[in-house]
Amino acid sequence: MSEQPQPMLLSGNEAVALGAWQAGCSLAAAYPGTPSSEILPALIRWAERHGGDIYCEWSVNEKVALEVASGASIAGARTLAAMKHVGLNVAADPFFTLAYTGVEGGLLVISADDPGLHSSQNEQDNRIYARHAGIPMLEPADSQEACDFARLAFELSERFDVPVLLRLTTRVSHSRTPVVAGLERAEREVTGATPNPQKYVMVPAHAKTRHEVLQRSLARVARWGDEAPVNRVDDGVGDVAFIASGLAYCLLREVLPEAPVLKLGMTYPLPGSLIGGFVERFARVVVVEELEPFLFEQIRALGHAVDRLPAELQLGELTPDRLVHGLRQIGIEPTGLSPAPDEALGPPAGLPARPPVLCPGCAHRAVFAVLRKLKVFVTGDIGCYTLATLEPLAALHTCLDMGAGISQAHGISRATGGKQKAVAVIGDSTFTHMGMPALLNAIYNGGDFVTLILDNRSTAMTGGQDHPGTGTTLRGESSRALDFARLAEAMGAEMVMQVPVSDPKAIEAGLRQALNHRGPAVVIASGLCPLRYRVRTTPYAIDREKCTLCRRCLALGCPALGLSVDSGLKWPVIDAALCNGCGLCAQECLLGAISLADANGGDAV
Amino acid sequence: MANVLFAGVGGQGVVTASDLLAHAALRAGWNVKKAETHGMAQRGGSVVTHVRVSPDQPVHSPLIPHGCADYLIALELLEGVRTLWMLAPGGQVIADARRIPPITVTSGAATYPDGLEDQLRSRGRVLPATEEATRMGDARAANALLLGALGRDLGLPEDAWQSAFAAVLNPKALDLNWRTFLKGASGR
Ligand code: SF4
Ligand code: SF4
Repeated sequence: MSEQPQPMLLSGNEAVALGAWQAGCSLAAAYPGTPSSEILPALIRWAERHGGDIYCEWSVNEKVALEVASGASIAGARTLAAMKHVGLNVAADPFFTLAYTGVEGGLLVISADDPGLHSSQNEQDNRIYARHAGIPMLEPADSQEACDFARLAFELSERFDVPVLLRLTTRVSHSRTPVVAGLERAEREVTGATPNPQKYVMVPAHAKTRHEVLQRSLARVARWGDEAPVNRVDDGVGDVAFIASGLAYCLLREVLPEAPVLKLGMTYPLPGSLIGGFVERFARVVVVEELEPFLFEQIRALGHAVDRLPAELQLGELTPDRLVHGLRQIGIEPTGLSPAPDEALGPPAGLPARPPVLCPGCAHRAVFAVLRKLKVFVTGDIGCYTLATLEPLAALHTCLDMGAGISQAHGISRATGGKQKAVAVIGDSTFTHMGMPALLNAIYNGGDFVTLILDNRSTAMTGGQDHPGTGTTLRGESSRALDFARLAEAMGAEMVMQVPVSDPKAIEAGLRQALNHRGPAVVIASGLCPLRYRVRTTPYAIDREKCTLCRRCLALGCPALGLSVDSGLKWPVIDAALCNGCGLCAQECLLGAISLADANGGDAV
Repeated sequence: MANVLFAGVGGQGVVTASDLLAHAALRAGWNVKKAETHGMAQRGGSVVTHVRVSPDQPVHSPLIPHGCADYLIALELLEGVRTLWMLAPGGQVIADARRIPPITVTSGAATYPDGLEDQLRSRGRVLPATEEATRMGDARAANALLLGALGRDLGLPEDAWQSAFAAVLNPKALDLNWRTFLKGASGR
């Protein structure tokens, strides 16, 4: 017997990667998205530190990632595709049919949901996908389970010939909790793909049969779940019992430490006999879950008169306070917390808000300053530049999903008979994700609007990951860099322009020209993301001799610019420690009061 | 059980500071769970992290319930006051006397409130951490000073902290941060 390994403090994402590494996963594909982005980099680190041959890639989108993984599975490799919750919408097409084809090598689909919308456009509950597609689902509650369940998922996938969904949430992905795990990896031989059309060619005749196979497999998985330790009963005292999974289970344990709980690790398909046996033993059973009444409705459908938390708790993240509040509303007094949380508490009113902002020197700022000036309708997309919707820039008017901005601009132009010309802004990474087909569609259908590609060579919001435009892969190997201009030309755009973000006048001239052009125009604004590329140049400073307090510079919303009170006047100042030296404010100042700090002996604070 | 809430501004190192505490607790053999904020808020927005540690009791949830924080480590005054309501009766503030005006203030739409320091001081300590760290070599070591002050109260052994610092921090920043921590722990 080897001695017990020391606990490690891992995030849920690092732990999932460890479980996959242990299980011998040899191919992983993903598109970055909060809160899932750290899974692949963690997997690479485990392999670097402890050995193992794992191919990892940033795919251009989640659908592609899952298809790459499905190919690897057919070849016999253990494989995973990771994404944030809305990424599974993109990958839904292969996801549903993969339930029919099943697998050779174990196939793990990881969905990291975001209850409470910490960094997302919605808070959909992806557990519903598992039931809809017929794909078994595991729901870890902490990092230890994230590691153990990831490993288990590969075994289940192979044993029952079906992909497995591992459903994380922000609080599991981004919490750090102790993990005890061995650092041994089960390396597996990848034998290669052999033809098996009945299983992998989903024409109707084959698919009908496979659908039946899937139903039988799911019944077997459910019976497995009746016995398997992945679902377990915590015995307790009292005749009110609970059924819970994931984070909700952790909160419940804290709030009611003595209560009997059926803790479900596998939440689809449900272990019917286990649930039936549990429910029978108690006078009252309450289902505690976050977001949709997913377990509640299924358990009701099994014929058990279980209870649940008040429906209003379905919105937003479940927190200890909201759980306490909900339990009280259904007549259950929490015993575990002291002091009991005070429901009336909340942040004080009247404090100035601190919304997120574009970084100092961000390449996007100049572009939005120009768009604001042009007073055009701007259809936006997903990325850091969504922040330009806030004051003082306030120059972005839609944000729906990845790639939507281009199609929305096309729709606006078509619906108004060309009278309103919108500008669609989209980041470089988002463009490769889903902007490409949208642009092709708009050009093909005679769209009359401007597409503005913000090319900062980075998937910036999620941490600066590479993508086809950067010409570097996840593993740091150099690759071909996509040429956005040539691509747009090849798609048939008649006017294609490139402007540097360091030159707001060129951006404005380019945009005006593009707006005057009839037909689809593409403007590519290039400038590196200073956070990702650690761009840092000499800061600027303001010369009070020349400054007339007009505040034009402040309207750029740069966090390095602020006000300082001196002799009764509020002077604009630049915080030299924050300023990135992009020079945008200097160009915005009509009086030449702003210049490089060492050049004018100004007020650098 | 000690509930420690960290509050600050995205980019200030809130996550790293709370990592140091969580790792120190792990190394001392304590139970620990920690919840972080990533994504959008990291672009200069309000950031909080929750750390819950206990030498003997199990830690189930990574989230601190409302009004149950035993310590509030505020890396910035406004963020400290914004999260003060999370503090339990008798809970302690350990704050840096640092002001970072948010964009709503720098753009002229709102003003940075007066009296924040007093509000925080009435519930604990406000230390010149950034000032001190700048004097010692780098403003970015300010958080270590606050952790030093916390460490004294919490009763985690010093070697656990030291090994956490070595595990989490960049070797180049280690020496200064450790000296700043000791300075904070000395209470002088
Ligand atoms: S991370 Fe890059 S793209 Fe995002 S706001 Fe900062 S500078 Fe701009
Ligand atoms: S030069 Fe001006 S706009 Fe650019 S980062 Fe510095 S203060 Fe901000």
